[in-house]
Amino acid sequence: MLKSATEAFLAECVEWNAFDANVYLGHSGTRGVLALEAPELLAEMDRFGIARALVSHNVGLEYDAVEGNHALMRDAHQRFVPAWTVTPDAGALLDFASREAKAARLWFATSHHNFSSAAWCSGEVLEQMQHRNVLALISKSDIDWDALHSLLENFPRLNVLLLEIGYRADRYMNPLLKKFPNLYFDTSMYAAHRQLEWHVETIGPERMIYGSRLPYYTPGASLAMLGTARISDAAKVAVAGGNLRRLLGERA
Amino acid sequence: MKSPIPILDCHGHIGVHPDFPHYKTAPAEMVRVMDHLNIEKLAVTSTLACYNDCPRGNEEVAEVLREFPDRFLGYITVNPNPPGEAIAELLKHKDFHHPPLIKFHPELHQYPVNGPHYMPVYEYANQTGAIILVHTWDSDANCGPLMFASLGKQFPRMRVILGHSGVTWRGYTQAIETVKQTENTFMDISGSQSHRTVMEHSVEQVGHERILFGSDMPFLEASMLLGRVMTARISDAAKEAILRKNFERLLNEK
Repeated sequence: MLKSATEAFLAECVEWNAFDANVYLGHSGTRGVLALEAPELLAEMDRFGIARALVSHNVGLEYDAVEGNHALMRDAHQRFVPAWTVTPDAGALLDFASREAKAARLWFATSHHNFSSAAWCSGEVLEQMQHRNVLALISKSDIDWDALHSLLENFPRLNVLLLEIGYRADRYMNPLLKKFPNLYFDTSMYAAHRQLEWHVETIGPERMIYGSRLPYYTPGASLAMLGTARISDAAKVAVAGGNLRRLLGERA
Repeated sequence: MKSPIPILDCHGHIGVHPDFPHYKTAPAEMVRVMDHLNIEKLAVTSTLACYNDCPRGNEEVAEVLREFPDRFLGYITVNPNPPGEAIAELLKHKDFHHPPLIKFHPELHQYPVNGPHYMPVYEYANQTGAIILVHTWDSDANCGPLMFASLGKQFPRMRVILGHSGVTWRGYTQAIETVKQTENTFMDISGSQSHRTVMEHSVEQVGHERILFGSDMPFLEASMLLGRVMTARISDAAKEAILRKNFERLLNEK
């Protein structure tokens, strides 16, 4: 009985044609137990019916932007859409300019690449991303709310996908979502009681994007939250992948 | 996804939280969510008691138990301060459940679980075979999971549920270590961090009989925990034990 219930749930997930916005690829110096190389990561995606993923490389996160982008090239797969890493350094900007980029990751935190999100520091990077219509991926832990507000105000045509916002963020996120149509967020840590339903009732399903945080978190959790939310099937399909496809310029 | 078997949920609340909007937190609304996911019974503690006022919070639980006697079980939440209040609350609400269900939130009450003000509660729990649900967090000075390795041995007749099992991956390793060293401590899977493979690792390390389903409803989303259990690479017998049988066994042991 339990096995068939699990299989039925996983079969339902396949029907959503999920496009996961928050996946990490490759060896990690700090998360060694859980980090996965490409073949194992693809096997996990298969198990949960996740069709495609927007992937950041751990080399880019933990080490160097340009080296991380080389690692993304090395581990490329048709089901991965690379989230290139970029910093304001001349070499990183040159590398980024050479990429056919749909998305890029900005690691502002002092414990990561250690630069400001303000225009006086990141203006050239953000202007280039806005001009090329590249989706900006930022982890919430890498930016404070006021800095995010300034970034959205200064770059109104730059689409920003805020990752891992946590479940205590609504009092910050809702005013920002209402003010800035270019702000989106992922569901990987949006885990308060019936929070997906609350968001769809309050804001709508268009700004919420499915993310699992693979390989650190199990997609079983985030998919169950989406699957049991009392929202329309169309809203589930949009959150599972349609919204991200549209943001990346594909058919939703 | 709905649970194929009725769940007995060891970790829930009555009330709201200060730092995010209130939504479907009334007991009647919670019952509808429980029906949606097939949670038969939810053991609740008062959030007001965890944050601010145990006597008033425990009265809220009493009211909910009167209104929904078949859907909720009641923890008596105790604060070690002021000294004496905890035992008074335990005696006042001794009919909530037999054996007593007791809740500690040492992080919010800012008092260590091995401090002297908790000792009368442990003695009471040891005499009555009570089940104590304790909020735990990785290495926390007031409620790190490892603190129960010695307390569990010192008071062998009480049962302790390590709420959230320490939350982080390292917190889980601490909870696992404590459960291995004692016979009367148990892991609760509620928590916001959905570590991949932690269910499999926990079952492998301590056996599925020592792991309980907790949702933390209406704070956290219960289906997140259901998804973790249902999609874990563990046996159906293990899932059934975690979702229902283990807490059922604890509740029925006097």
